[in-house]
Amino acid sequence: MAEFEPKIIAFVCNWCTYAGADLTGTSRIKYATNVRMIRLPCTGRIDFMLLLKAFAQGADGVIVSGCHPGDCHYTAGNYHARRRWILFRSLLDFVGFDTRRVHFAWVSAAEGAKWAQVVNSVVNEVRELGPFEDYQKLARVGVE
Amino acid sequence: MSRIGVFICHCGENIAATVDPVKVAETMSRVPGVVHAVDYKYMCSDPGQNLIIEAIKEKGLTGVVVAACSPRMHEPTFRKVCAESGLNPFLCEMANIREHCSWVHEKSDITTDKAIDLVRVIVEKVKRNAPLYDIKVPVTKTALVIGGGIAGIQASLDIANAGHKVILVERDPSIGGHMIQLSETFPTLDCSQCIMTPRMVEVAQHPNITLYTYSEVEELDGFIGNFKVKIRKKARSVDENLCTGCGVCMQKCPRKKIPSEYEAGMGMRTAIYIPFAQAVPNKPVIDKDNCLYYLKGKCKICEKNCPAEAIRFDQEDEIIEADVGAIVCATGFDVLGTDSFPEYGYGKYKDVITGLQFERLASASGPTLGEIRRPSDGKEPETIVFIACAGSRDPAKGIEYCSKICCMYTAKHAMLYKHKIHHGKAYVCYMDIRAGGKMYEEFVRRAIEEDGVNYIRGRVSRVYEQDGKLIVKGVDTLLGSQPVEIEADMVVLATAAVANTGAEDLAKKLRVSYDAYNFLAEAHPKLRPVETNTAGIFLAGACQAPKDIPEAVAQASGAASKVSALFSGDELSREPVIAVVNRCPPPVFSTCEGCFICEQACPYQAIEREEIKTRDGKLIKVVAKVNEGICQGCGTCVAVCRAKAIDLQGFSNEQVYAEVMAL
Amino acid sequence: MDALRKKARELLESGDSEVIIGYGEGSGNRARAIFVQKPEETERLILDDRCEQNLAVYLLKREVKSLGKPAIVARLPVLRTILQLAAENQLSDGDVAVIGISPDGELVDLPDFKAIEEYVDSLPLELSPEEQEQLEKIKNMSIEDRWRFWTDEFSRCLKCYACRASCPFCYCSTCVVERNIPQWIPVAPHGQGNLEWHVVRAMHLAGRCVNCGDCARACPVDIPLNLLTQKLDEEVFSNFGLKAGTTSELNYALSTFKPDDQENFIR
Repeated sequence: MAEFEPKIIAFVCNWCTYAGADLTGTSRIKYATNVRMIRLPCTGRIDFMLLLKAFAQGADGVIVSGCHPGDCHYTAGNYHARRRWILFRSLLDFVGFDTRRVHFAWVSAAEGAKWAQVVNSVVNEVRELGPFEDYQKLARVGVE
Repeated sequence: MSRIGVFICHCGENIAATVDPVKVAETMSRVPGVVHAVDYKYMCSDPGQNLIIEAIKEKGLTGVVVAACSPRMHEPTFRKVCAESGLNPFLCEMANIREHCSWVHEKSDITTDKAIDLVRVIVEKVKRNAPLYDIKVPVTKTALVIGGGIAGIQASLDIANAGHKVILVERDPSIGGHMIQLSETFPTLDCSQCIMTPRMVEVAQHPNITLYTYSEVEELDGFIGNFKVKIRKKARSVDENLCTGCGVCMQKCPRKKIPSEYEAGMGMRTAIYIPFAQAVPNKPVIDKDNCLYYLKGKCKICEKNCPAEAIRFDQEDEIIEADVGAIVCATGFDVLGTDSFPEYGYGKYKDVITGLQFERLASASGPTLGEIRRPSDGKEPETIVFIACAGSRDPAKGIEYCSKICCMYTAKHAMLYKHKIHHGKAYVCYMDIRAGGKMYEEFVRRAIEEDGVNYIRGRVSRVYEQDGKLIVKGVDTLLGSQPVEIEADMVVLATAAVANTGAEDLAKKLRVSYDAYNFLAEAHPKLRPVETNTAGIFLAGACQAPKDIPEAVAQASGAASKVSALFSGDELSREPVIAVVNRCPPPVFSTCEGCFICEQACPYQAIEREEIKTRDGKLIKVVAKVNEGICQGCGTCVAVCRAKAIDLQGFSNEQVYAEVMAL
Repeated sequence: MDALRKKARELLESGDSEVIIGYGEGSGNRARAIFVQKPEETERLILDDRCEQNLAVYLLKREVKSLGKPAIVARLPVLRTILQLAAENQLSDGDVAVIGISPDGELVDLPDFKAIEEYVDSLPLELSPEEQEQLEKIKNMSIEDRWRFWTDEFSRCLKCYACRASCPFCYCSTCVVERNIPQWIPVAPHGQGNLEWHVVRAMHLAGRCVNCGDCARACPVDIPLNLLTQKLDEEVFSNFGLKAGTTSELNYALSTFKPDDQENFIR
């Protein structure tokens, strides 16, 4: 029986985290294979609905990562994103969603090692939590 | 119908060692919409690029996906290839299977599967890519420089010498800023006025520079390449065309005891005045707050005596409108006054002065003709204590930063004092010595070793007057915090450099960001120090942060080169990754409901309001509109729009959704 | 009530207003919204404890706008709604004549937005003790219990969008659920789509909800929807110090920021 491997989708900003992940690659630092990155110009662009869609598509965990506050290439996108996550996360928690499946990070273009760490620790945490069956089951509630 | 071409690169062994490119290509060929899927050793090489060119021609590709290294490396390369083959460059994207896959995982099926996923994501995105075209914005090749200090002067000359027109606006009656107030400059002890006045004259005479002194920016509208500025030319009460600068008015003016701004309060001026002898322009101004005619309707002696009949009491402010394409903000700094320091006497002790005031005493054209004399009784001070960090690096005074120039000018002041009064005793009470520039450390060493200036490391707690002397109570921390008490004849405070008055208001008019100290904000602290986050507005000099003359000049030239680059074509070409507000047929016209949350969120204030009207001018609704010239394409507006009425070209909702759904 | 009818009559007779949006007798001893256009008909206006509905929802409806210049009977939630709509550029000062009603049922004269702002400022905007208790009950549940509670509630959701129709802040001509390229929220009423719809609705109302409770009242299957928006309202206030419907200047939590906003979950 194959051991459960979580499916992680990561939404990252082009200027910091994507570049940071590039650095991880250039430095040949190995990390878990479970993550699939989607490139966006800025964390400010990341609609919270995208996270819901990631889960609907079968993700067991989601990572959102961008520039450190104050360093945004577009000056303020990550500040707006931060407010959005503060509210979204509290709403998810209120509705009973396990917020240990949603992770946020600031990874700069120089933090190649940090990106690998973030991915590895998220994969480990989500592996512990198991597959996100509750969310998949929901698709059948009301229909069966 | 999509006809996507997928090209999987081996990148030698970089990708092929851990990912199976043949399998990836083969899997991709079975994806709906993909009509061409091949693998090759080096896609970025000439033969690799040819594969793309041929495929576009032979298979009529509508989109190209190159699965290779990071788009941050080669996206421009492959986009250029597509453009040259007749395919819109924005229909070409890259899937990163090297930095994000082959280099970070071991060789296995899982790694190849991940590569397949990553390519699939980009294929789905490209299926929904629309051709995009660079945005062209016209450019007015005139620059506006705000502030006529050394930074503003340097920027103006550089831009003018590059062949473009410059409008230089200075709010004081003459250009020169603070540098023209200095006696000698560190580390060379060059006479400040000697090196500056030629520049000032060059500005006045330059055919490309229009100089407005005693003027301020009233209003700014527009955007990069297309600004509209209103300048208020304040009334000098003198007809500049007739005035010859003879100075008779100043000689005759009965109001002679007005503290001079140029002399930093160390000397006096008249109500009608030219601020200093080398002023540019060399024309007087009437200070309406102190002139007897404006106060009481009397006097008019200047008018009676003016040989050129140039006095015009009824002159009014003039509003000048101009079109400019770029703006350089060089509004400089100010220093804290002695009245900010209760511990040093609230400015009540006449012999406690600021560094800028000491400059005027030391200056050969100053109120004491270059002799160091106590302001209270005019005697030579036998002992001077220089207090460094007066206000700077002090959270209690609300100024946490270091003012950068004080260590150097304090050393300079001590040296000048010793040069002029050989037997005098100079003490510098300091916290640290910051002498990082070229020849700076050697300069400070010279003060200590050759000129015998005493450096005492410790802060001064109090200065008070006793028996005609100023008692300075400090501490020597290098001697185990031993208390030190000096009886001084004069105390010079190296007061903090702060943003110039009116900086906040100007920043608001220009819509540039500023920090808690009212210093204007650069676009990126490391890599974009002369730009602001407002497109087309640049920074030079101390308005951005305290700095010395070489840095101000360097930054000014940097800003000038940015302006010249902006003016180098007749049109500005911008990447079309920008936001667009939806428009649709009547009766809806646009799914935007005009709540303008996007307007508030946009970091660049690129959202404008557009009125949609009927044919006879009746208002239907007000919706948002993105200014193509300003939008930088961050997409924050797209995420906050509830109705999804605004979308980002290049990272549209449809595209990103398809990317997620492909996983 | 008499004072209200008198005021309404004055507004219609003087021509200052062409339609009064107020409460009247409905079916089943319920109050309902009525639109009085003739001075005689102002006798139909009532004002009692049954009059809870947020009438401001009608201010943006095309059908009501075509009736002419409106006046509106405005309890606190309606006043806050008017301010918030003004902040979002949907209403201008003077568009609507406001007949303010105090918590005790007395008429309050509020000639312009500034007056409304000052009046709202003087009233307590916190949740009632009962509302607080309901919210606490859910907050104190374990995560699994909360999930079960909400999925249970949402399983009854029919996607009728009555909650959306009753909310004055849902004025988008094309709601995000009506978008099908891409289809963000599935249309069918299954558990996942229902959860997503309610999460999106709550997020779109974060920092805008004025706690009128109409969404919960309108829901035909009695889902306590107002709890979701109340929770976010609480978060917006405690994290960012902002409350909806207190000013006619836009100060929306999600389009503004402070460089030192605090959080404890971002690595």
